Order: sequence, then structure tokens, then C-alpha cells
Amino acid sequence: MMTPVAECFVAFLFGSVAGLLMQRSRFCNTAALRDAIMFKTYRNTKAMLVAMMILTIGFTGFMSLGAGHPLQFDVGLNTFAGLFLFGIGMVFAGACTVSTWVKTGEGNLGALWALIFTFVGMFLFSLVWSASWWPPAPQTMTGQINAPALQLGFANAQTLGEKFGVPAIVFGLVQTVVLFGLYRGILKRERAQHAEHEKHEREHARKKAEKAAKAAAANQTA
Amino acid sequence: MLPQAKRAAVSFVPQQRGGVMEFFKKTLDPIIALAAIAVLDIFMFLIMGAWTVGGGETMMTGLIAKGMIGDELERLPFWSIVFPVHGDYWKIYISLGMLFGAFVGAVLSKEFYLRVPRHLSEWLLITIGGLLMGFGIRLAYICNVSTFFGLMPEMNMGGYLAMSGILAGAWVGSLIYKKLLEAE
Repeated sequence: MMTPVAECFVAFLFGSVAGLLMQRSRFCNTAALRDAIMFKTYRNTKAMLVAMMILTIGFTGFMSLGAGHPLQFDVGLNTFAGLFLFGIGMVFAGACTVSTWVKTGEGNLGALWALIFTFVGMFLFSLVWSASWWPPAPQTMTGQINAPALQLGFANAQTLGEKFGVPAIVFGLVQTVVLFGLYRGILKRERAQHAEHEKHEREHARKKAEKAAKAAAANQTA
Repeated sequence: MLPQAKRAAVSFVPQQRGGVMEFFKKTLDPIIALAAIAVLDIFMFLIMGAWTVGGGETMMTGLIAKGMIGDELERLPFWSIVFPVHGDYWKIYISLGMLFGAFVGAVLSKEFYLRVPRHLSEWLLITIGGLLMGFGIRLAYICNVSTFFGLMPEMNMGGYLAMSGILAGAWVGSLIYKKLLEAE
């Protein structure tokens, strides 16, 4: 068991390395989704998928051994609705929770502004929640389906493993294969885009050469 | 032996410096960066928990609010039941670390400079975006980092719900953003 100070130190160390690597690689979660949707480019999406594959194997592997600290809380329709709002917000702000910090560290005042209003948004939610007490606080969650509160309970690779009597890693490997399939699909799409681009380049060069030849022939005639 | 050892040490140092400085000259492949972060995230999962950002940000919101209105804050059930405010919540320090790491990276690579959005419309969009992100994170109880780098790899049911939500949101947001760009 670590002391709170040691936990804070480890967290700061992790955050520092993550921030440095993000800054040097220009990785952005928003770009991973937005660029794939708007521009059909996948630089960040591929990185996100690779990380998810490594994490799936790592997390479910250790969960099979009973190790690790998985997140424990019930989920419900609020999970979908909240991230839906978040998805719109991150495209508008041009940054997600990570890139607001990273871009602020680079001196981006727009990102700092987004961060300040993320805090304001959180405080506004705390007012709304305090007035309505919905969705239920984690302390009232039971892990079971709670229809009136629109809660679906709790399940992860560990609970699935216990229910079906197989190690969590088995489910993890299935998910990894699916993620790898997506990754390969993106690579295939990129190759097709590249081939198409080269075809256009060749076509353009051919037309340019034809035009030049015609101009040269016209000059000779004149 | 001593002079040789000395020479080796002298020649070693500049190479190391060159290697480190080279790191700050080139853009790193995001796949390599994210793979390294994923491995570190697994270590953190083993000792404390997976990487999240929204929780730390919420605690910071609470700390700021407490600094502004004091104990009055605890009259709001959210801050007394869901998020009792305390400064030694480890997730706060992930975010502060990211800020620090990015600052160091930007300074060493000479990429640190003040960037200011030029148009009022950009400020407006960022404001709305920030508000939606903050409200959304707390409504869902999770952020995008915990979705993609925590819940999904743990195969938490919430991860799939959250991912569907964020994809739908990013799609709607992109459509609106495209329309706004076309209108300009």
C-alpha cells in the first residue's frame, strides 16, 4: 500500500513522461477521432489503437492473476450521454483532456481557455447534480441493473471471467484481435489512398507533358 | 588504464548529449510514444490505477471552488458525497505532470511560444467546447482518457458505452464544425 504522497509522486512522474512524449509526437485524442471522420487521415488513430492493444493485453492479463486496480463504478445512459457531449466539445475546442494540458504547456492560450471552461463546466454539473441527485453517486451504486436510475450495473473482463469460468485474458485477446483488425483495415485504406494519390500524380505529369509537347509542336509550326 | 578510461568517458558524454538533443529536434512517431505510455500505464494500473484525467480535473475544480467560497462548497451534495475535496488526490498530479512534461518538451525543442486564437468566433467555440467537455465528463463520470486507456482495455461495459458516445459526439461535432468552416 502506497502513501498518498508516494502516489502523487508516481502520478506526477507518469504525467511528466506522458506529457513530454505527447508534446514530441503531437499526439492528440481529438485528432485521432476528428481527423479520421473529417479528413480520412489516421496518424493519431493508429497510435491510439496500438496503445489500446498493448493495454488490453496488459490489463486483462494482470486481471486474470487478480492483480491491478480496475476502475469500479456502475455505468448507465449517462455514460453515453456525457461522452456524447464531450465528443462535440472536444471538436469545438480542438483539444481533449490531454491536449488541453499539453498545448497549455506549449504556450497555447486557447487550450488554457478550454481548460478553464472545462473546470467551469464541471462546476456547473456539480450544481445540476446537487439539485437533482441524478445519476446516482458512486456510493449508492450496487453493481446491479437499476432501471429507474437508468443504470446498467457493472461488468468488466474480471467479472466476465468469473461468470464464464475462463481467465480475463481470453476476453482480452478477443478484443485485441478486433482492435488489430481495425488497425489493419486502416493500413489497407492508407495503401489504397497512397495508390490513388500516385495515380493522380502520374496522370497530372502525363497531362503536363502532353501540354508541353503540344506547345512545342505549335511553336515549331509557327 | 586511466587515460583510456578518461578518453572513453569524454567521448561518451557528447554522444549522449547529441542523442538527447536529437530527441528534441525530430517529431516522434506517435505510435512509439503511445506504446511507451501504454507500458507505463500498465505499471501504474498495477500499483494505483489506470491513467485518467477527468477525476484530477474535477478535484482541481473543487479545490479552486473551495478557495473561492470556502466551506460553503460542502453545502453542495456533489462536493460532500461524490468528490470530497482534498489536495493529495493522485490524479491531480498526472495532469500537472503532463503540463510540466509538455512545457519541458516545448522549451527544449524551442517550440514554446504564446499562441493566441485570432478570431472572436474561435474563442466562442473554445468556450462552448470547454463547457461541454467539463459537463460531459462529470455527467458520464469518466473522460476520454479513461475511456480509451482505462475502461476499454479493462473491457468495462462503460468503455463501450463511452466509446459509442464519444464517436457519435465527435461525428456530430465534426459535422457542425464543417458547416461553420464552410459558412466563413
